[in-house]
Amino acid sequence: MSKETKLDQPASAPILEVRGLQKSFGSIEVLKDISFSVTQGNVVTVIGPSGSGKSTLLRCASFLETANGGDILYDGEYALKDGVYAEKKDLNRFRTRFGMVFQNFNLFPHYSVMKNICEPPMLRGCGKEEARERAAQLLQKMGLEGKEDAYPCQLSGGQQQRVAIARALALEPEILYFDEPTSALDPELTGEVLKVIRQLAADRMTMVVVTHEMAFARAVSHRVVFMADGCIVEEGSPEQVFEDPRQDRTKQFLSNYTK
Amino acid sequence: MSLMTMIAKMSEGLEKTCAIFFLTLLFAIPLGMIVALLRMSKNKIISGIVRFFITVLRGTPLMLQLLAVTYGPHYLFGADISRNKLIPVVIAFSINYAAYFAEIYRGGIESIPKGQYEAAAVLGYSRLQTFMRIILPQVVKRILPSMTNEVITLVKDTSIAFAVSYEEIFTIGKQIANSQTSFMPFVVAGVFYYLFNFVVDRIMGLFEKRLNYYS
Ligand SMILES: Nc1ncnc2c1ncn2[C@@H]1O[C@H](COP(=O)(O)OP(=O)(O)OP(=O)(O)O)[C@@H](O)[C@H]1O
Ligand SMILES: [Mg+2]
Repeated sequence: MSKETKLDQPASAPILEVRGLQKSFGSIEVLKDISFSVTQGNVVTVIGPSGSGKSTLLRCASFLETANGGDILYDGEYALKDGVYAEKKDLNRFRTRFGMVFQNFNLFPHYSVMKNICEPPMLRGCGKEEARERAAQLLQKMGLEGKEDAYPCQLSGGQQQRVAIARALALEPEILYFDEPTSALDPELTGEVLKVIRQLAADRMTMVVVTHEMAFARAVSHRVVFMADGCIVEEGSPEQVFEDPRQDRTKQFLSNYTK
Repeated sequence: MSLMTMIAKMSEGLEKTCAIFFLTLLFAIPLGMIVALLRMSKNKIISGIVRFFITVLRGTPLMLQLLAVTYGPHYLFGADISRNKLIPVVIAFSINYAAYFAEIYRGGIESIPKGQYEAAAVLGYSRLQTFMRIILPQVVKRILPSMTNEVITLVKDTSIAFAVSYEEIFTIGKQIANSQTSFMPFVVAGVFYYLFNFVVDRIMGLFEKRLNYYS
């Protein structure tokens, strides 16, 4: 409910704002002047050819890579300002605002499903009972009840990815990043993961999703960002980007998917 | 000398053999981790120096290192040769084994996928928490088979202490063999090392089994 009301306040700062972001690996410029923002309750999908910098963008936003220039703001507060990061304790505070779901799940193999989900909140001071209760609710939401005591190696890829989503949600992030959440899955398992993400979108979870699943991107997102060669080439509503792309580069890219 | 008295006499060295074995493990296991972490240091000078020492310790005979630690101080500074040979023996063995363990640890640590660190970072684990809770337990499982090999080698290597006349089983066996002109003490020693390693193998097997709950 409160989320709805917040949505109607245009004055409130976007949850994530990126301005003029730059990132180079050695002499290769991977991100060149990237600017975009994500407001509360919105789903932004990022599409684009391999190597265009989509993962790097999410990795910069989640502090897994060190950007070389630009600004990153969470709720209007600078995490990165003009290429300079905030202090470590502030970065840790910003870390509590986002969650990340990786292509390869990156579950902890030596932990049970329950412990994978419960330990991070408990390390942040959440009580054991509360953490377990929340984990149980999330597992139910992910369609994984009864898997509490399983180990990741005993689960299918689709189940592992849903555990990873539950693990990220257990920290109650304001925004969730997905980096090709279904790319490592067998085709018949992508549906169950996409369904869960759709459900989150319906619950108005704020998300940035890098994906190659065009039908999904179209159905779920409020805005679509098309990246190529480290730049945002085109950005707009899914209808606009998919049905009436303005840039030749976008048309060319999308034609690979409609064949 | 009857076989029974021979066995009884050699058993007196059992305690010392066990002392070398357990004390070496006690010191080398943590020391190896420190060495491994220094070896992986981002500081090129530190990692270079540590790497050099590792190659020396692995590239020269343990017996030579043992002699150096036991008699080196005497030749260099005129220090008294320690009466209690256990100290130099344990020092030499611990340093030598730490070098081997360090390389095993390093291999184990480097085999953990980068994604484990990244997931932990995003989930708010500190560097220490990431290492102790996420990385180390997985490393232990991965390196256990290599560690079993090293521990079995250590059992046999304790016999090298005869080079400084530390009276563990092999040294006593050799003394008896010389005085009795008999090969029998060596057979007894061989059986003893075999039995010791039989137990070691079982125990390490139990550890491996306990960590088999995931793959
Ligand atoms: N750690 C790194 N060191 C050097 N170059 C890197 C590194 N990570 C990424 N790159 C390079 O940066 C560019 C962008 O990579 P990125 O992974 O962000 O692309 P992507 O859009 O996610 O591609 P994909 O669709 O294949 O996942 C690529 O050319 C890649 O080779
Ligand atoms: Mg990528």
